[in-house]
Amino acid sequence: MEKFLVIGERIHCISPAIRKALAEKDPAPILKRAKEQIEAGADYVDVNIGPAEKNGEELMTWAVQLIQSEFDNVPLALDTVNRKAIEAGLKVYNKEKGKAIINSADAGPRIDLFDLAAEYDAKIIGLCAKEGIPRDCEERIAYCTEMLEKAMEVGLDPSDILFDPLFLVIKGMQEKQSEVLEAIRQITEMGLKTTGGLSNVSNGAPKHVRPILDTGFAAMAIQCGLSSAIINPCDKELMDMIKTCDVIKNNILYADSYLDL
Amino acid sequence: MAFKMSVQEYKGKINEVEIGKGEKAIKLGGQQTLAFYDFDGDTGNSQKIGIEITDVYPEEWVTGLKEFYGDAAKNPAEWAKFVEEKLNPDFICLRLQGADPNELDKSPEECAEVAKAVVEAIQLPLVIAGTGNHEKDAKVFEKVTAAVEGYNCLFLAATEENYKSVGAAAGLAYGHKVGAESSVDINLAKQLNVLLDQLGVKYEDIVMHIGCSAAGYGFEYLVSTVDRIRLAALAQNDKTLQMPIITPVSFETWGVKETIAEESDAPDWGDREERGITMEVTTATSILSVGADAVIVRHPKSLETMKDFVCQFA
Repeated sequence: MEKFLVIGERIHCISPAIRKALAEKDPAPILKRAKEQIEAGADYVDVNIGPAEKNGEELMTWAVQLIQSEFDNVPLALDTVNRKAIEAGLKVYNKEKGKAIINSADAGPRIDLFDLAAEYDAKIIGLCAKEGIPRDCEERIAYCTEMLEKAMEVGLDPSDILFDPLFLVIKGMQEKQSEVLEAIRQITEMGLKTTGGLSNVSNGAPKHVRPILDTGFAAMAIQCGLSSAIINPCDKELMDMIKTCDVIKNNILYADSYLDL
Repeated sequence: MAFKMSVQEYKGKINEVEIGKGEKAIKLGGQQTLAFYDFDGDTGNSQKIGIEITDVYPEEWVTGLKEFYGDAAKNPAEWAKFVEEKLNPDFICLRLQGADPNELDKSPEECAEVAKAVVEAIQLPLVIAGTGNHEKDAKVFEKVTAAVEGYNCLFLAATEENYKSVGAAAGLAYGHKVGAESSVDINLAKQLNVLLDQLGVKYEDIVMHIGCSAAGYGFEYLVSTVDRIRLAALAQNDKTLQMPIITPVSFETWGVKETIAEESDAPDWGDREERGITMEVTTATSILSVGADAVIVRHPKSLETMKDFVCQFA
């Protein structure tokens, strides 16, 4: 198995500092967060510019070029619901270090993003949802299959799709967690890759509890086959757990200093 | 439909490490696939074969070899020159056996003089091996690395016990290449590279010596170790294991009963020298097939056979 793929989530317009930086086109806060995440071991950096209805194309172009030129063409996940902004980002994206990830399509209104992925030779996150939250594992698998068919239609390699079973908050939706894990297991058994927004699971929990919820869920999900996640790579305990899971699954070779790598 | 050959592609690539200087310098590694798998990808630089010489007269060696080298073997610099002119290997390995505390216990300064004389006498790249005594090697290499500064030698080796001093002297202070020695232990092989990196030695300046054994002496374990290391380097793109591998075959094969026993003691086994060559060639061929980028042999006949082998396959 390939080692776990870490997508860093910290460039997100929900953060006031980033929102301000995006509004003012101020490179410093964005580059700072990119740097922190790369140094902490992120394989990909997610760039969430929000809906950016007015200037999305210009903003994504700016952000992609800014981060890639500063950090040796680090691979990026282009994260917005604005299709035109994603396309603008893909146009200037340099795939020397890895294909771009489109974040994200779904089995509903955003399924046409698969066309973009095929056209620009990008990877794509496929949210196993259509409208609202999928009820159970079965519904997730149905959406997964629909997206897979769409990918076949447009000539996208299944290995370029990261299926997101939609992680749910533990506090309030405890009874749904096993369904999510089961979906990961079944998608993995089909030979497909998976991902998800890990911090969803700890939403609303006290600050000191969140890391252990995230870390525990990550370990269980990785055992079910989870091959990547959108996470905060600066959370050292979480990163240590991911490395440990990679060692236990024999995805990386053990050495006494494996946590330092 | 036309037949399409399936190809196993790997993400990782073995580092290319240069030893020596000038026209005769050699490059190890650089491949993106398993040894000799040219149908799958770039096999990088061809495997290199070196000849072993020692800093003291090799009393223990088989008579045929001692006769072949004659008086040249009494002076390491003369000996090295003889090897370069007559045998033309890819490199020479000078083994500083005289420094062994259980033998002549020569001083680091004496060793440095010998190494300097040898490196100045030849054009070929020089690999310098210690005694295997970690403490003594650390002291010896401190002087020797300085004496041969500028010649880009490879030092065998830094171990878990002495990597700090050997790594600092060879890799940092005097710009040589560091051999990282682990004894057939994949986890330690990786750990040692990480430790050298943390010390400041560049991954590109490290060659791994992951242990050796003579064929028949736990050799399968060695083979599986090389295999696992290469698959981690290529398939898992593990940067901490993408170093070329050197295997000092002769250090092991001439010390086992099949090569030590005199013909008078084991008449069924035949000529001792022939046995030694067979043992050396068998081991060297096997380890090259699984992934070693360089081997050290002792007998000219072994060198000739191995060069031919590499030539035919690479």
